[in-house]
Amino acid sequence: MSESIPAISSSLAAEPEAARTRLLRHGSLWLLGPYVLVLVAFLAVPLGNIGVLSFFTSSSARLWSPVLTLANYRQIANGYFLDLVGRTLAIGAVATVICAALGYPLAYYLARCSRAALAIALFLLIMPLMVSAVIEAFGWIAILGREGLLNTALASLGVTFRVDVLYSQRAVLIALVQLLLPVMTLPLMSAIEDIPVRLEEVAQNLGASPLVAFRRVLLPLSLPGLVSGGLLCFTVAISVVVTPALLGGRLGRMLGNEIYDQALSAYDWPFASSLAMVLVLLVFAAIAAILATGPRRQTRGGRA
Amino acid sequence: MEAEPVPSGPLLEALPAGERVGLAVRGLVRHYARDVTVGPLSFTVAEGEFFSLLGPSGCGKTTTLRCIAGFEPVDAGAIELAGRRIEKVPPHKREIGLVFQTPMLFPHLTVRENVAFGLSVHGFPRREVARRAATMLELVGLSDLGQRRPNQLSGGQQQRAALARSLVLEPPLLLLDEPFSSLDLKLRVQMREELRKLQRRLRKTTIFVTHDQTEALALSHHIAVLSSGRIEQIGTPQEIYGQPASRFVADFIGNANLLDAEVLRWREGIAEIVTESGLRLLARTAAAPAARRLTALVRPELIRIGTAAASVANAFTAEVREVVYLGDEAQYRLRLGERAELLLVRKLTGGDDGLPDASVMNVGIDPRDIVLLSR
Repeated sequence: MSESIPAISSSLAAEPEAARTRLLRHGSLWLLGPYVLVLVAFLAVPLGNIGVLSFFTSSSARLWSPVLTLANYRQIANGYFLDLVGRTLAIGAVATVICAALGYPLAYYLARCSRAALAIALFLLIMPLMVSAVIEAFGWIAILGREGLLNTALASLGVTFRVDVLYSQRAVLIALVQLLLPVMTLPLMSAIEDIPVRLEEVAQNLGASPLVAFRRVLLPLSLPGLVSGGLLCFTVAISVVVTPALLGGRLGRMLGNEIYDQALSAYDWPFASSLAMVLVLLVFAAIAAILATGPRRQTRGGRA
Repeated sequence: MEAEPVPSGPLLEALPAGERVGLAVRGLVRHYARDVTVGPLSFTVAEGEFFSLLGPSGCGKTTTLRCIAGFEPVDAGAIELAGRRIEKVPPHKREIGLVFQTPMLFPHLTVRENVAFGLSVHGFPRREVARRAATMLELVGLSDLGQRRPNQLSGGQQQRAALARSLVLEPPLLLLDEPFSSLDLKLRVQMREELRKLQRRLRKTTIFVTHDQTEALALSHHIAVLSSGRIEQIGTPQEIYGQPASRFVADFIGNANLLDAEVLRWREGIAEIVTESGLRLLARTAAAPAARRLTALVRPELIRIGTAAASVANAFTAEVREVVYLGDEAQYRLRLGERAELLLVRKLTGGDDGLPDASVMNVGIDPRDIVLLSR
């Protein structure tokens, strides 16, 4: 998605398409084969299965009965489930915005720092990804709980104020931001890395303060990174299960929890399937919306 | 070497005396890396002057430029622009134009938007921005390409757009960091001439960084030759080439025969010297040489041959050891006596028969063509 980047330096401009694709002939499509096979077997087929299931009738005796109905989707249209969808989208959007706000300075530092600093910073950034979301959630419980680390620390400092965010949307947001910050930062970092420092210097030389240079040069040029980071962030955020289950309580329930409960507690697989389909459609809609309004592929003639 | 004629006569180019100081650099020091120090450097550039910083790569010329632009902190010294101290001013408030080696146009903006960038950042009204940008695009001959993206322009056009983007703000000082080094030779010469005309017309105070002596000689009113972070000499192109102040300057600019020699005697403006390779030479020098041991500079194109050689004081018989043909000129490696070697360069012109195609020839060096340099 970094289509505007090769233009920065003509010497670095992408080689002509013909030269790049010379080695790929039509027969080369088989290179995609293994991946397509995995996709079909483990994504397309199960997803189709769920899609079909979502139109079946619930049955307490046999999980479902193959009688076609729209009742599952009609049920989602009732207030409680619409609220749930709305809350899920809101939490996803807010988490994404916070990640972007925190991720930009971080990504800028990573893109411009020395190699030695980068190695350490990248390790610190990526390390949390190696820890399971369950363990991270328990960590947040230990920190945010009524008698948790934070409140104990406040009390020992003589502060009477108590933080009471556990089992709420805010607790889910805090944990999601922590979980998703690397997902936002890494694509942003690589987008900023591709922008020559000289370009920022030119902007400053022409009278732009660092803030103006960011808004008029760095931001538009790193937009592809922001879009891919934001998209990843948002799609992961609206489909989380563990984090809201452990930290959200009743107020922080999200669509993923409802699907889990319908499938494994209520044993209503057709209804769980219809909720799952809604989630899938939301993710697709988010991708479509961002790609439609995001940075367009710049039209350019000649070389590109 | 190029066939490009060196600008004629210094008088055509001379700045009026008593011109106001545009930029003054006083005792500038910058510790660039652990053991690389630039400076202390001091020089002044008059208003409207074209001033070049010339030197090999790593001599500190780009660092100096970046200090003036504000992208490199100054460890000591002062920089004054039109009498105002600027070394602590952040770069975006310095109002100094800067053009880099590569055009560095904003790839997400059209050429016109690139040129308008500085104006709109400075908050000019939209109509004024459009008018000035259009005027500037016309000045650099890009009027028809304003709507294009930078990557749809050729290298030369991109660099002209970058120049326009800086000039449109009418900065009191323009800094050029080897702006043509990314272009091929033909285009470089063409751009050089365009820049020359533009600078002379706008009378824009300009500092030009280059390692290309031809560019510096062709464009500059004054040149500062840098080596290892120090200024070796500041002078007009004629002074730098004809009266180099040091062995480094003599060697760096143009071809040079540098002969280590010892002074035998000096009387009435004539020094008699003997080179380490055993040549006895008479050299005209107004003042008595400062040291016994020095280096004699003989420019290869000033050595006379054939009949012209007989009429000068230093006349020799030379053996031709090697000839290198370069199209518009030829280089000859000559052996004089037992050990002395001299490089001789001859322009190949129509009426001239060049060099006699002989293995032995008469050569002469006018005492006025020898410059004595301290070692």
